[in-house]
Parts: sequence; structure tokens; C-alpha cells
Amino acid sequence: MPRYGMVIDLDRCTGCQACAVACKVENNVPFSSPELALEGRTIAWMQVLPFYEGEFPEARTRFMPALCNHCEIPPCVTICPTSATYLSEETGIVAQIYPRCIGCRYCAVACPYTVKFFNWFKPKWPEPMVAGLNPDVSVRPKSVIEKCTFCSHRVVKARERADGEKRKLKDGDYQTACQEVCPAKAITFGDLDDPESRVAALSKSPRAFRFGEDLGTEPKVYYLREGEWDVERER
Amino acid sequence: MSNANDERFNADWFANVLRRDTRLLVAAVPLVILVLSAGFVYWRQFTTGMGVTGLNRPSYWGLYIVNCVFFVGVSAGGILIASLVHALGVKQFRSVARIAELMAISCVVMAVTSLFVNLCWPQRMHFILLYANVSSPILWDMLNVSLYFFISLAYGYFGTRSDLVRLMSIKPRHAWLFRLMALGYTDVSPKALKRDDIILRVMAVAGLLAAVGMHSVTAWILGLTKARPGWFSAIMAPLFIVSAAVSGLALLIVSVVLIRRYLRVRIKDEVIRRLAQILTFLVLALGYFLFAEMLTVFYGKEPAVLEVFETMMHGRYAVFFWGHLLLGLIFPLLLFGVVLAGIPRRWVIIGGLTLLPIVAGIAFVFGLAMPFAKVVGDALPGWVGYAAVWIVGLALLQACANERLGEDTRLGIAAGLVVLGIFAERWNIVLPSLMGHSALPLPGVSYAPSGLELLLVAGIYAMGALVFIVAVYLLPLVESEEDEPPPPVPDRSGIEGPRWTTIEDIKPPRWPEIKPRWTEIKGP
Repeated sequence: MPRYGMVIDLDRCTGCQACAVACKVENNVPFSSPELALEGRTIAWMQVLPFYEGEFPEARTRFMPALCNHCEIPPCVTICPTSATYLSEETGIVAQIYPRCIGCRYCAVACPYTVKFFNWFKPKWPEPMVAGLNPDVSVRPKSVIEKCTFCSHRVVKARERADGEKRKLKDGDYQTACQEVCPAKAITFGDLDDPESRVAALSKSPRAFRFGEDLGTEPKVYYLREGEWDVERER
Repeated sequence: MSNANDERFNADWFANVLRRDTRLLVAAVPLVILVLSAGFVYWRQFTTGMGVTGLNRPSYWGLYIVNCVFFVGVSAGGILIASLVHALGVKQFRSVARIAELMAISCVVMAVTSLFVNLCWPQRMHFILLYANVSSPILWDMLNVSLYFFISLAYGYFGTRSDLVRLMSIKPRHAWLFRLMALGYTDVSPKALKRDDIILRVMAVAGLLAAVGMHSVTAWILGLTKARPGWFSAIMAPLFIVSAAVSGLALLIVSVVLIRRYLRVRIKDEVIRRLAQILTFLVLALGYFLFAEMLTVFYGKEPAVLEVFETMMHGRYAVFFWGHLLLGLIFPLLLFGVVLAGIPRRWVIIGGLTLLPIVAGIAFVFGLAMPFAKVVGDALPGWVGYAAVWIVGLALLQACANERLGEDTRLGIAAGLVVLGIFAERWNIVLPSLMGHSALPLPGVSYAPSGLELLLVAGIYAMGALVFIVAVYLLPLVESEEDEPPPPVPDRSGIEGPRWTTIEDIKPPRWPEIKPRWTEIKGP
């Protein structure tokens, strides 16, 4: 069984936000507004978060794309009272069944990464954009939790195509939207259990780390630490 | 003095039942309006979405959950006192047992409603059982709260039944009503009463277990969430139990004092004093638990937990923390001390006036800032704040040393402060962990309940108060202590109508005797 995971190379990430935009378009994530953002009610399955370091003359910003970590031991699955959020046995993806969610928001509270989002209102799009919604992804009603699904609708398509061509799924058949658009190729996605895959090789890199590893949630999203290539004192 | 006081509260056992009391009506009208408008707000929230509240990311939970936790606690505390009477036979508290049960029931109604409005999909509630996830604390909380609710209802029923039968002969015109409330079981023979007593005793123990279980599971909803530093701690469940006992007992004292003052029911001064003594020790225990928690946090200096406590003690809602510490813990202890030890008024004034300049002077000399300076701003120097706190405390102590107010009123004031303090404590438990710490650098969004949210919560309070008012209208509030058994039910043979089955009509089945098998086995 594949165990899909992602590796994000922070050294390559330029903070361009292309992944965040692609994710919104691909997954029918409703728009936000400055007012909603100030209220803390933006929905963004993939967001590029800035970390600020140092004081003014030496200041620098680091970027970190943050998305659902698809934990192997997900706290949100453990506590969901209706099993609306579950860990898929087939893909290792943590998914959400929207019609079963009762909107108690316990999973959002229990997520150490705060990457579960709640639909505070009914989602709205400008008129011309409604026709452009992705038909493969359901539009969520109000009052349910939603989150990154690793574009799991794409694994279905990739599998069907591979079946049609009478072959097995190979590395690269199934790509997420954020990976596809990343201009710096910072995002790698694939089967962590497949020894041939690029993502498995990168996840074993000495630069690799996972977010909040001490929590024991075993995330499947790896980050590659930024290297300081030109440090004056170490020259 | 206390004897003279006791004589004033000598209303007949059943005086309040079915009495047309204008005061109750005047109280009920605004409450009904509040409940109706809260219903409207809930409809609005249901149709528009949770966006009408002040909730956001990361504060996904807010006032509703704080309320739920608070009322679950008060309810558990109420059952605790009621069970003392029947499980352990503490006869002294018999006169307040029924008020405690009523409070427990109305509070559990409020707690369940608070939890209910926090869910967004009432039509999917049954999914919790249909797609049950055994590792979810919410499932266990729901089961435990419903079990507790039915146990406390049954407990109240068996405790009130004999009084209801008494009422049938006292108010024959409304006998049907009391027969209905007694569910038709009107047998008051000594045998039946004894059986009731045994059932009550079993129920009291079961209620006690269910109350402790319910509040522990509620604590574990928060305490098992390792993503939230501040919640994720083993002290959560014990702390909740102590807080529950404190808040339940304190609100019981407040309601007993109010009911006694307004309805003149027969509750002795001695009982209230005794309750206040127990409360004093429980408040001390709560202080000990909080100290143990704080010591671990500040000794360990784990950054995430420190961040949460920083938010709690110096953030936007720091007033809740310091308010709980001062008005909910320290002052009530002093007040109880002054009242129970009977310290005269002039000593309090002399002691207070000598300490005031010392405290303000220390704050001035060392330049101590108010702990919640970030909220008040730098407008006031620290010593003014300390002096203000001191003056408030002195005024309270003054009031509590004033003998003209009556001992019960003074204890009631102190207990009321404790109740408010526990509410602030619940807020401090639930919210700083959500607002204060995030593993990701999220923009700092803090939570403030919206107007509609506050109105809905006010409606929930009103609903609890209405449950209480209806009970005051329909039920005798104090278990009658008449020694003679209640008069038998009037003969109904001449009256047309359905015959009610009494327990006497049902013959117990005769079990066949089972021979023990080992008699047949012969030794070697």
C-alpha cells in the first residue's frame, strides 16, 4: 500500500505563494477578505507562513509553506466523535467526510498544527468564478471542518489512467496542485514507502525534519532545512 | 441571635407550592423573553453559520464551552451535597438536599444546552452513536452526561415522592397534578417508604459516581489534548473535581440564602454556617491545586506552557485571572474567616487601615506595576491600583463584619464571589490555551464573544432560572421532617376515571428454588 507524503525544500522556497493560490483554485476553497483575515477566519489549506528573524539591519524573513501534515498518528482522528475525519488505509491520507461532520470543532482544537479550517459561513464566489469551480472536489457547506487532502481526487484519476494503460502507478503519476505549480520545484510529492521514489530519498536527507516531531504524531510532510551557504564567521 | 433568626424562617413546609406569588411572576416574564430571544439567536446561528459568534482560528471554542464546563461543575457539586444526606446519612443537610438536587438538575440542563449550541449540526447528533469512535472523549462525555441527567432526575423523584403524596391530601383540588408528578406511584406504607429509602441510598451513590465521572470526562476533553499546552496536564481532572465541589457548594449557599430570605422556608442558620465551613476548606484545597499547577509550570519553564500562562496572567483577559485570585480565592477566605470567627467590625477597620498604607507604600517604593498593566495602560501608577484593590477588599470585609446584615447574607455574599471566581477560572482554563500558543506563526487573533453569542448565553441562564422557578412553584423546597407518616391517599373508589396501578397490585414473580449443585458431589 502506498503511503503518500511530501517533502518541501525550504532552501528552494522563494515564498512566491503560487502553491497557496493553486491550492485554492484546485480545491474550491472560498475567497477571503481583509476583514475575514483580521477576524482569523481565512480558509487556506496551504499557506506560506513568514518567520521573522533578527532586528532591523540583520533582519531576514524565512518562509514555510504550511499544510496538513497527514500524521501517521493523527490527534484529530483519535478524538473525532463521529469518525468524520479518518486515516485512509489505502493512501495514508487523513481525510474528512463532510456530510458526517457535526461541527464541534474538536479536531481543530486538537490539531497541534492548527491546519484544520472551519466554514464559519456559507462559502461564496464571484458570479463568473462559479462556473470555474473544480467539478472533482465537493463544495463544502457551512459549519463543517475542512483541510488539505493531498488533492486526493487526483489519485483516483491517476489510478484510472494507469489501469487504462495496463500498468502500475509510478512515481510522478499522482501530483498535487501545489507541487505542480511550484516554480522553484521546492515541493516533492510521492510514495514514502516506494524505495525508488524521489520523495523517499529526500525524506532521508540529513537536512530533513518534521514539524513538532516531539509530539509523536509522525507527520508525513518533511521539510528540508535551509542551509546557510555563505556564513561569514565560518568562511 | 441565631435562634431568633431561625424563628423568622418558619413558613409551612408546603407554603410555596402552587402559591400565586407575584415576585416569581415578575421574575419569570423577562426570563421568558430572554429565552425566546435566545431561541431566535440560535436560529440565526443555525441558518447563517457559526460566523455570528466571535469564534475564530485558533479560538475555535469560546464562551459556550466555558459555560458548559462551568455548569457541569456546579451540577456535579450540587449532587455531591445531596448525596451526602442520603448516601452517608448526614441528616443535618437534609433541609437543603432538595434545593441542591434542583440546582443540579437545572444546571445540567444549562450545561447540555451550552454544549448543544456549540455543535452546528443538531440533525446529525445521532452520528455520535451511529459512527461512534470509542477513543473520542466527546462520546463518553455525552453518554456520561445523559446517564447523570437521568440518575439525578430519578434521584429527585424518589426523594420527593412522599412529599408529593402528602401534598395530594393537603391540596385535594390539584391532587391529579401531584399524582402525575409522582407518576401514579402513591403508595406511602412504611414498607414502600423503606424501599424508597434504600433506592435513594443506591441512587445517591450512583449519582455521586456519575457526577465524578461526568466531570472527569469533561476535564479529559481538554486534558487529553496534547496539542494544547496548558490543557495537557494530569492535574486537569482532579482540579475540575475540586472546582466543581467549590462552585456547586458556593452556588448552593447563594440559592439557599435567597430562597430562605424570600420564601422564609425552614432552613436553620446552623446549616448555612456548616456549608460555609466546608466551602472554606474546599476553597483552600482549590488554592492548593492551583498552586501545584502554577509551581510546575513556572519551575519547568516549558516555553509553550509559559506562553499560555503569560497570556492568562498578562494578556487581554488578565483581569479574569487576577479577579479570580483576589475576589474568588483570597477575599472569600478572609470574608468567611471574619464571619465564621465573628471578628468585630472595628478590628477589621483598624487592621485594614494599618495595612493599606503599608501595601500601597511597598508598591510605591518598589515601583510595582499592576499585573494587568497591558490592559489598563500606563494611565495609573501601580500603587494606585494596589490601593484600589485594597479599598475594595476592605469595603467587602466591612460589609461582612456588619452584624446587621445577618450572618446568612454575609456568607451568601462571600459564596457569590466564589461562584464568579470559578466562572473566571473556567475561562482561564479554556481560552488562554487556545489563544496563547500556536506552533505556527499565526497572526495573533484574540477572541471576544459577539453580542449575539452573549444574548444566547443569557438565554441559557434564563432557561436554567426558569426551571428553578417552575420547581419553586410546584415542589416543596424542603423535605418535610414530620415524624408521622403521610396520610393515606383518599379513597378514589367513587371517582370515575382510570384506575392507577399501585406497586401493591404488581405481584413479584416467584422464582423457582435452585438447589445448590455441590450438595450432590460426594467426597472421596
